[in-house]
Amino acid sequence: MATTAMNVAELLKGIPEGAWVAISEDAHKVVAYSADLQTTLKTARENGEDDPLIVRIPEQSSVLFL
Amino acid sequence: MPTVEFPYLGIAIDPSDPFPSGQIAKRPLTRAIIRSVATGKRMRCFVCLDSGADHCVFPASFATALGIDILTLKKHLTGGVGSTANPTYYTNLEIFLAPDIQFKSYVGFSPAMDAHGIGLLGQAGFFEYYNVSFNQKDMKFSIETT
Repeated sequence: MATTAMNVAELLKGIPEGAWVAISEDAHKVVAYSADLQTTLKTARENGEDDPLIVRIPEQSSVLFL
Repeated sequence: MPTVEFPYLGIAIDPSDPFPSGQIAKRPLTRAIIRSVATGKRMRCFVCLDSGADHCVFPASFATALGIDILTLKKHLTGGVGSTANPTYYTNLEIFLAPDIQFKSYVGFSPAMDAHGIGLLGQAGFFEYYNVSFNQKDMKFSIETT
């Protein structure tokens, strides 16, 4: 079984650094974003997306050593 | 043994002095659904399979979204490269990666992960359950199902 890739970079183009972003369940569009995760989730629900995929735009893109 | 195959995600890294053309970081990231055992609330997020992480850990903000008050949880101090003594609060989650890959895990929530906005699946709570093959050359990784 194989899963599919999604083009996250294309979807997130133009969204400010540090923003929490809600992506539609079908991963086709951004439904909300803000500096605060709770606000993003609330706006997403108001926009009809109850179960969005959450991602954050890094403040600065950097190599990660976690 | 049957496996589920996932694509690596390529993340663009800005140019810097040692890498003037920028870089593409190839990361074993995938989508997940996480559900709090305590509250029953769930959310969707990205997770990175991190064989160098001792535990599974998620941003503290995710706990709030799941209806969890982290201050009621047991605290442990964790660290990584460039950071030490990060307060991390532990509870049980159900994690779903694919129809045949769902498991319960005792995970940490840490404010130190908020900057990244993703979860890490580490040795305890993930790699102890699943055999994983990384094939970065072909930009895919595979998890054996049980």
